[in-house]
Amino acid sequence: MSTPASLEQLIEALRCLPGVGPKSATRMAYYLLQRDRPGANLLANALDTALQVVGHCQLCNTFSEQPVCPMCASGNRDSSLLCVVEMPTDMMMMEQTHAFEGMYFVLMGRLSPLDGVGPKEIGLEKLLKRAQDGLVKEVVLATNYTVEGEATAHYISEMLAKHGLKLTRIARGMPMGGEIEHVDSGTLAQAMMERRKVL
Amino acid sequence: MASGKVSTSIFKQDNQPVYVLHSYPFKETSLVVELFTRDFGRVAAVAKGARRPRSAMRGMLQSFQPLLGAWSGKLELKTLHSLEWYAGLLMLQGEALMCGFYMNELLLRLLAREDAHEMLFDDYGLTLKALAAAPSDSANILRRFELRLLQQLGYAVPLTHNIKDEAVLADAQYFYVPEMGPVSLQHDYQENGVQLSGKTLLDMDKDDYADVQTQQQSKQLMRLLISHYLGDKPLHTRQLLMDLQDL
Repeated sequence: MSTPASLEQLIEALRCLPGVGPKSATRMAYYLLQRDRPGANLLANALDTALQVVGHCQLCNTFSEQPVCPMCASGNRDSSLLCVVEMPTDMMMMEQTHAFEGMYFVLMGRLSPLDGVGPKEIGLEKLLKRAQDGLVKEVVLATNYTVEGEATAHYISEMLAKHGLKLTRIARGMPMGGEIEHVDSGTLAQAMMERRKVL
Repeated sequence: MASGKVSTSIFKQDNQPVYVLHSYPFKETSLVVELFTRDFGRVAAVAKGARRPRSAMRGMLQSFQPLLGAWSGKLELKTLHSLEWYAGLLMLQGEALMCGFYMNELLLRLLAREDAHEMLFDDYGLTLKALAAAPSDSANILRRFELRLLQQLGYAVPLTHNIKDEAVLADAQYFYVPEMGPVSLQHDYQENGVQLSGKTLLDMDKDDYADVQTQQQSKQLMRLLISHYLGDKPLHTRQLLMDLQDL
């Protein structure tokens, strides 16, 4: 038995999703065509619409339907502060804290030297332009505390070094309500090394 | 015990000194981790559930930290059971961090799987420490590591004698050919090579990188040799280091 060409194409197309191999792709395709045709239609339309209307915000680079996203356009944020994060989810988390009043820039990734993700693959050129709008005074590097996040923060600090901006990095150490007995050794070691003066 | 052909200790390893070289996503919530282990060389292992938010291994899976690992399995891809904190924290920052990535890429590309190199493992740890302590000296630290890496992997890098087995003279000029060694300038080798002074070769043999010319020429020589053994695919980290310098 041979698979119809269009079904073959659908299976091949589904494989572009992360973590989806030939077997899962086949299962998904069969399910959509056999059990849930309305769902498949919905998916096709949603994908089509999203592809047409969702772009990147000109200011913060996050996903947006408008040229400038509602948060950047709101006008009640402190435009002298620019917080650089890796992903839109990081921006969401940061917003939930209500601790930051400035603007954001979302890189949509991080440098990953060993996977060949270099400066050109993430929004670094856009960030360089964004940080030089004349209003930004301080850039807060809020990339992850992983080796890739650190590499990204280092690259950005080198990139922005000559532009007369204040560069800061978010702090790390003991978690909120953290008990020394239960915290992991790495965090504890960092907290000790980066201890701050009290008096 | 059954026939005893394969001892059970091969299946399960505990408390092994390791470094994480790299990791990449595997299935929904797991990671494949490339480990550099002291006694078993480069080992690939699945860290099950390591991408879940509360995974105990998540924070430990960072490169450049000395760790103790436990894994099992008889196939090429092992199962990682635990990673534990070991000898203190290494802070690689800025340029030193980039050099660390470069070293990891070299190891990933040049080390065969499960081929132990205990001395190289110890050299790697010492090099990381040196980078953390003196990031401004990173070029010379890397040259030492590159040379030791090639030597420990069994590639001959003759420094004190030319191919006719005559002692290299400090004030003579040589043409260095990969797999051969230093030849006199009137050579008939078509291959790629670099011209350098005998002093550079002797300095490298003595581990002395104080001289500026030695620094420049040893860099050219190591670049030639490493590209020779790596083949055509360029190093990603070298590109990143160049991008950084162009800023």
